[in-house]
Amino acid sequence: MTESKVSSESSAVHVDRLSFRYPGGPAVLSDISFTIAPSEIIGLVGPSGAGKSTLLQHLNGLLPSKLPESVGQVENLPHVCIDNLPVSRQTIAEVRRRVGFLFQDPDDQLFCPTVFEDVAFGPLNLGLSDIEARQRVRDSLASVGLAGYEPRSTLRLSLGERKRVCLAGVFACQPSVLALDEPFSSLDPRACRTLIGILKKFSGSQIIATHDLDVVVDLCHRVLLLDAGQLRAAGPTADILGNAALMERHGLEVPWRLR
Amino acid sequence: MCHRWPPLAKLLAALAMILAATCVPIAHGPLVGIVACVIFFAHTLARIPLAYVARRLLFFWPPLFLMAISLPLSQAGQKGWLLFATILVRGTLSFSTALWLVNVMPFDQLLATLRRLRVPDVLLAILSLMYRFLFVLWNELERMRTARAARLFCKPSLWATWRSAAHLVGRLLIRALDRADRIHGAMLARGWDGRSRWIEQPREDRP
Repeated sequence: MTESKVSSESSAVHVDRLSFRYPGGPAVLSDISFTIAPSEIIGLVGPSGAGKSTLLQHLNGLLPSKLPESVGQVENLPHVCIDNLPVSRQTIAEVRRRVGFLFQDPDDQLFCPTVFEDVAFGPLNLGLSDIEARQRVRDSLASVGLAGYEPRSTLRLSLGERKRVCLAGVFACQPSVLALDEPFSSLDPRACRTLIGILKKFSGSQIIATHDLDVVVDLCHRVLLLDAGQLRAAGPTADILGNAALMERHGLEVPWRLR
Repeated sequence: MCHRWPPLAKLLAALAMILAATCVPIAHGPLVGIVACVIFFAHTLARIPLAYVARRLLFFWPPLFLMAISLPLSQAGQKGWLLFATILVRGTLSFSTALWLVNVMPFDQLLATLRRLRVPDVLLAILSLMYRFLFVLWNELERMRTARAARLFCKPSLWATWRSAAHLVGRLLIRALDRADRIHGAMLARGWDGRSRWIEQPREDRP
C-alpha cells in the first residue's frame, strides 16, 4: 500500500502497520496503514464485523489494553500517531485530549445525572478552572444547538439530543480529531441532518465509521474500505463508493446518490 | 411547600426524622406516635399521596418482615416480639422518610448537597452512576421481557417461567458488565484518571 510510505509530516492521524487480535481470538485488524490530513473528513466503511469500531478505539488508545511504555519504544514498531505524537503510555493523556471519541450508544457516554455535569466532565479532567469549564460547557452546548440545556436530566432527552450532548462533551475538550462510531444509526432524518450540519462546521479532521453511505457521499472527502480486518481500498469518496464491483465484493451497495 | 426549602434543610430534616424514628424506644408508645405524626405531616406538606407511599411500602414490607420474623423464632418470650415490632416500626418510618426526601429533592440536588457535606467521592460516584443507569438497565430488562412475551405462544408452566426468568437475569448481568466496560472506556476517552472532579452548576441555570 502506497499510503504507508507517506511521511507523517503534518498529518492529523497516522496509522502504521497496525494489527490487532483479542486474546485467543482471530485477527481483528491486520497490517493497516493510512494517514489523515488536518481537517480532512474520512469515511470508514465496511460490512458489520469488519473491525471499524476496533480500529477507531486504537486512535485514542482505548485499545490495545497494553500500550507501549514510552514514545521511544514505538519507532520501528507498528504504531498510531496523533498530530505526529505516537500513542504510548507516556502520551496517552494528551492523545485523548486531542482525539474526541463519540460512542455508538449515547447511554454509554452520558454517565452523569445532568447535561451540565456531563459536558463539564472532560474540561474538569483537563484541569481547567471552574470559570473556564463553565465557559466551555456553554460554548460547546451552543455549538450543537442545545444552549440552555445545562440543568436537564440526561435521562429525559431524545436520542438525537443525547447524541448532540455527547458531541458537546467531546467538543468541550477541544479535540483536533473526531473519531465517530456509527453517529447516524437509529437517528430520524431530521436529527441526522442536524448532526451532519454540526460535523460540517467542525474545523479539525474526522474519521466516521458508518453504514450510511449517502451521508458519506455528502460529508467525506475520502473513504477507507475495511473488510475482515484488512484495508481493501482507500481513495476519494466517489471513486470508491461508485465502484460497483468493489462494493459488491465487500457486501456493500453503491449509494443512491452515485447511481 | 417542602419542595422550596433550601436543599440542606431538606436533607437535615430527613436525617433528623430518621434519627428520631430509630432512637425512640418502641416501648414508649406515645413518643413513637409523635414521630410517626411528624413524618406523616411532612408527607402532607409535600403533597405526597398516601396511596403512593402505601404502594411502595407494600414492596418494602415483605423483605423487612422476613428479616424481623427470625427474632421471635429464635428468642423465646416477649423480648423477641418486642424486637420484631421495633424492626417493623423503625423500618417503616425510616423508609417513609427516605421516600419523602427523594420526592421533595431532585436527585442531582441531593448529590450536590451530600457533596457539600463532604461525603466521600467514591460513595457519591456509586450513587450517581446507580441512579443514572438504573433506568437504562430497567429499559433493557423491559425490552427483553417484551421480546420473550412476543415469542411466548402459550401459558408456560411454573418451571418454565422460573427458568426463563433466571435466563433473563443472567443475560441482564452480562449486558450490565459489558456496558460497564464501555462506560469505563467513555470515561477514559474524556481524560478520566480515577479522581472525581466536580463543580457546582451555576445558580442561574437552574429551572
